[in-house]
Formats: sequence, structure tokens, C-alpha cells
Amino acid sequence: MDLKAVKLLLEKNAKKTWNPLGVKEEYCSMWAEGMNFPERGEVLLYTGCLYQMIPYIDMFARLLKGFESMNPALFGIAMKINALADSLGLDTISLLASLEISKKDKERYFRIVRSIANALLSAGVKFAYMREEPYSGVLYHDLGMDDLFREHVMRLAKKIKETGARKVITIDPHTTYMLNYLIKEFVDDFEVEVVHYMDVLLERGYTPKVRGPKEVVIHDPCYLARWNGVIDQPRVLLSRAGVKVREPEFTRKFTGCCGGPIESLFPSLSSKLARKRMKELKETGSPCFTVMCPICLTNFQREARELGVRVFDIMEVIE
Amino acid sequence: MTDLTGVSQLLNKVSDDPVLRTALDRAISSYWKKRKQVMERYPYVKELADEVRRIKEWSIDHMDKLLDKAIEAVEAKGGKAYVAETAEEARKIVGELVGTGKVVTKAKSMTTEELKLREFLIERGNEVYETDLGEFLVQFLGPKPMHFISPSIHLTREKVAEFLKDFMGVEVDKDDVEGMVALVRKFLRDKYFSADVGISGANAFAADRGAVFLIENESNIRLSISLPPKHIAVVGMEKIVPTMSDAWKVVEVISRYGGYKVTSYINTVMGPARRGDGDIGPEEYHVIFLDNGRREASKDPILKQTLYCLRCGACQYLCPVFGIVGGYWAGLESAYSGGIGVMWEYITGDKETSTQHAFACLLCGRCIEACPVRINQPEVLREIRRRLMERI
Repeated sequence: MDLKAVKLLLEKNAKKTWNPLGVKEEYCSMWAEGMNFPERGEVLLYTGCLYQMIPYIDMFARLLKGFESMNPALFGIAMKINALADSLGLDTISLLASLEISKKDKERYFRIVRSIANALLSAGVKFAYMREEPYSGVLYHDLGMDDLFREHVMRLAKKIKETGARKVITIDPHTTYMLNYLIKEFVDDFEVEVVHYMDVLLERGYTPKVRGPKEVVIHDPCYLARWNGVIDQPRVLLSRAGVKVREPEFTRKFTGCCGGPIESLFPSLSSKLARKRMKELKETGSPCFTVMCPICLTNFQREARELGVRVFDIMEVIE
Repeated sequence: MTDLTGVSQLLNKVSDDPVLRTALDRAISSYWKKRKQVMERYPYVKELADEVRRIKEWSIDHMDKLLDKAIEAVEAKGGKAYVAETAEEARKIVGELVGTGKVVTKAKSMTTEELKLREFLIERGNEVYETDLGEFLVQFLGPKPMHFISPSIHLTREKVAEFLKDFMGVEVDKDDVEGMVALVRKFLRDKYFSADVGISGANAFAADRGAVFLIENESNIRLSISLPPKHIAVVGMEKIVPTMSDAWKVVEVISRYGGYKVTSYINTVMGPARRGDGDIGPEEYHVIFLDNGRREASKDPILKQTLYCLRCGACQYLCPVFGIVGGYWAGLESAYSGGIGVMWEYITGDKETSTQHAFACLLCGRCIEACPVRINQPEVLREIRRRLMERI
């Protein structure tokens, strides 16, 4: 894998779509069709598009792994061609568009986001939502591409400001961390309050209902537990719904990573890390895993069949 | 430089090695068990670790001042102090002190690994023995120390038994770990008595008294440094803390976070033996303070926290990536391993290779929870990435 090629590709996709994989912003908001959220308001639901991007992330990951196992050097070449020669029609945007993403696949992740929105509504929270919702930019930061990240989050901050929001509700760990901490290093006047949706639900005394398995093993996402300190919240919500929770050996602040964050640069290593963590989870005796992060969800999901387990987002277990 | 293929192939290959995986699984689960017991038995250790963080912060900010004080204290006791700016300078000083055709016993020391000191001395015609069991195995079996305190973490007892059988020419039972330890101990026992020089690193260095602190479990260090007539201690500048009392705190935190309920021995050396007072021990005490990138790093607002590292190995045991690739992460050329190893290599060695390895970090942050002084490795490793990404 060549970093120069990765950088070029990301910059090019960002320039065209403000998204690392070339996923369009109108696609990010598609789950909300017919829900009639206002575009402006004191409280804004900001998804960061990570759940919606899962089918694309997944397809991209399979693509990368294919390249890696074929010939590692080939990938670098492909990336260079890809990034430099739009005219060949080889850019990821059209590549991903040409690959069929099943309706069922899209629908699953849209449903998770919808389920979060519905829970917030049922808890009496009123919120606005953007029609064309931007990605969070966190991948650029992870890779050390600070210039691109700055440009991205300045636009994002402006867009959030335009909604008139004073409070933003986030739904995934990476976007939450980015808005709570990282953005402030790059944007001077970002002064909105950022809360994770589980905190909002708990604050409102929300009691969810069971929708999936009655017993699960819980996997704390690294960024949720360690970087945002959201640890008890999912446990409380699950127990309120009457779901029995099993704890793995490495849990809470010592939770084990799903391997997702290095998926784009080291795809094989990433899936070995996923399998190792999944074995730890399976040792609790429960074949049903619950996660609260789109990255964990997709990284585990890819290995799930082989390991004979089922992976659920928490909002597929409860609602 | 920007092509990660080499790193990716290396890490992929070793993560498929079943022997390495078995060895790592055993070591990590044993560490985790011990760590939980230690934290339960010594609950005050967390607070002590916070205090050590403050001691290290102050010490790194006052590195030059502490260095002067340390040199003064060493010389006041009749020892000799040296400052080595680079690895090459340090090797030259040690090379002159040792000479050629000598027998050298060594205490396990990552800082001397950073200098590739054993290889250097052997090349100059000396007989050099690592006396820590794990490091002894690494000397003969390679490829490098794979963990700060457990250098042979990549070897299973089955592998070790096989090696000892060949090396010593005797039958070895793979389940009799004590027996294997005894074999090596017997072999080394003679070497201590014939050695001309003992070389050690330092777990901590107290500036007020010029004292080296050394933790060990096999009593090999006290033999290595007290039987030969000459003791050379190689001390990374980040190891210097103001007082004896500070150094004791550092040493306790290292051993607890290393997973020890009881550390067998802690040595303090404060100078050469004074014959008239009936002291036993070496007549010469040489302390080499090593810079090799440390002073520059101490002035870098982000890299600086690397120097708080006590080298207890807790983060390596608990890092998910380390858990499947072990010390191959940071590369075989580096003395250091894991995410923290990438940081140390970046400061003291090969910036290019370490930068490539920095991209294998998950940024998951379990190392921060593991670390007694809460070094933010993701922050440092991301910064190393940034420095490359902004200029390509």
C-alpha cells in the first residue's frame, strides 16, 4: 500500500464529494426520507454518515483485501492509476457505484439510524436534521492528513452553525469524539454542546423494548468506552429492556479493539484482529454480540459467519 | 518511504506463525492475571504511578540540570561519568573501557540493545554473555528482544528446551522450566568469576547520589556487576530523577506494572568499592549518560511524553496489534517493539522505518489504560504519521 496513492485518492474523492469513499451527501440523509425533520433547530441530530457508509466501507475493504492477497505491489499501482486517471473511469466513486449494493444491505444500516431517531422521538426529543449530511472527516485525522481534515471540519462547523443548533446529538463513537475534542483544535468558534444519543435517552428516562436477542455479550467500542467514557450507558439501556448482558474478560476501559481502524492500510491484519477479539467475546458462551459502533459492526460482521456468531448493533437489540 | 508493502508483508507473515501466537497468548494471559492480582493487592500503586508521572514530567523538563547534578554526584564518589551524544559515541566510550580479548557479563538492558553494544563488543574480539535468561536466549536464538521485560516472549518453552538440549548437550524436559533456568545459571556461574567487565543499564538513576537502580529476578545482575573489577552503566538521559526517594518510587511502579507481586531483587549502585572500608565490588564505576535523540525529544511538545516511559512493558502486553505480531512491530532492525517501540525508534534511531510502522497502530488507546504514566501513544504515533503525510 502506498501512502502517496492513498493521500491522492482521499484528496480527490474529498474534492468531488467531501467523502473519503466518494459517497454522496444526499445518500447519507436518505434514511430520513419521509420523516419530515426540520432543517433548522436548537438541537441537531448529526450522524456523521458512518452507519450509512457501512456497505461502501465493506465493499472497499473486500476490494483492498483482494488486492492485498493478489499482489501487494499491484494495489499501489492500481491506486495510483485510480487516483490520477479519472478519465479511465477507474476512480472509486464510479467503481463503487458500479458495484451493486443490495437494497437489503443498505436498508439494514438505514434502519439502525432510523431506530436511533425513533427512540429519540419517543423519548420526547425534538431535533433538526440536515438534508445533505456531511461525513465527519475523522479518517483524515487518523491518517495524519491535517490539512484536509481542517478544510473538511471548517465546512462542517459552518454547516452545523447554519442549522442554528446549540446542541448536537451524535450516534457513533468516532464522530462523537471528533466533535467533542478534535474539532476544537482546528475550528476556533465551535461552541455547540455535543452529546451521545445514549446519554440523551438516559437523561430522558427512556425505557427501550427488546427487539433482538434476549441475551448478548457486550463489546465496548474503544472510542466509546475509552475516549468518550460512555460505558455504563449501554448496559443500563440493555438492562432496562430486560436484556441479559454477558461481559468478556477484556471489557469496559480494557476492551479489545475490533481491528477496524487499520482496515484500509492493513486489511489482513485487521481481520485477524477482529477474529481474535471475536473469540474472546464468544468465550463468554453467547453467540450474539452487541456493539455500538459502525466500524466494529462491519469489521465483525465480515467474520461472523465463519465464526458462527451473530453481530448486532445495540439498536437492533433494543429500540 | 511511502510504500507500506514491506511492513504489511512482515506483520502479516508473523501473525500467521502458530508458535509466535501460542507464545504471545500464554504470556499475555499470564500477565493479565498477575496484573489484576497486583492491582488488588497494592491498590495504592495507582496513586504512586500518578506521582511518578509528575516526577518524570519534572525530570524531563529539567533534563540538562539533572544531568549536571548526576555527573557531579558520580564523580564525587570516585566514579567516572561520560556524556554520549550519539550511539556511536557511546560505543566508542564503552569500546575503550572494555578493550579487546576480555570477558564481559551483561545485565539485560534495552538501552544497550539500542546501541547494539553486545554485537559491537563481540566484533572487537570480546566474549560477551547476556545473563538474563530471556536475553541469553535472544543472544543465541534471536531475532531481537521482543518485549521490554520479557525479551524472549516469542519463544515457547518447547523451543527453549530444544535449544538448550543442543547448546548444553544434555537432556532437557520441556515442562521443567526451573530445570532449564538452573542449567543456564550453572553455565553462567563460571562466566561471572572470569569476567573482566560487567555492563548494565538502569531502571532509574538518582541524581542526588549518583545511584543506578536495577531491578531483577534472577540475581544475575548483582553477580554481573559486582564480581568483575569494572562496572559500566549505560543510562538513557530520561532515566535520571532528582532523588533516591523518587527513584524508589519509579522502581516500585515499574515492577508492579510489569506484573510482579514481589520483585526478587533491587540493586542500587552508588560508586566504586572503597577497599579501606571493607567494601566488596568493582574498583571502577563508569556511568555513560546517553542522549541519542533524547534531549531533542525532550523539547518536542508531543514526542516528549515518550521519555516518561518506564519500560515496564505493560502497554506491549495489552496492545491488540502486539498480541498477534509481538516485537516484529517496529521492525527487526529496531531494538524496540510495539507502538511504544515505534516511538522510541523514531527518537533514537531510524525515522523512516519507524514512520512506516506508525501506520499499524489502531489508535485504540488500550495502551493508555495499561500505562502507569498514561502516555498517549495514539497521539504521538498520529503525529509521526502527520509529519510524513504533510510532506508527501
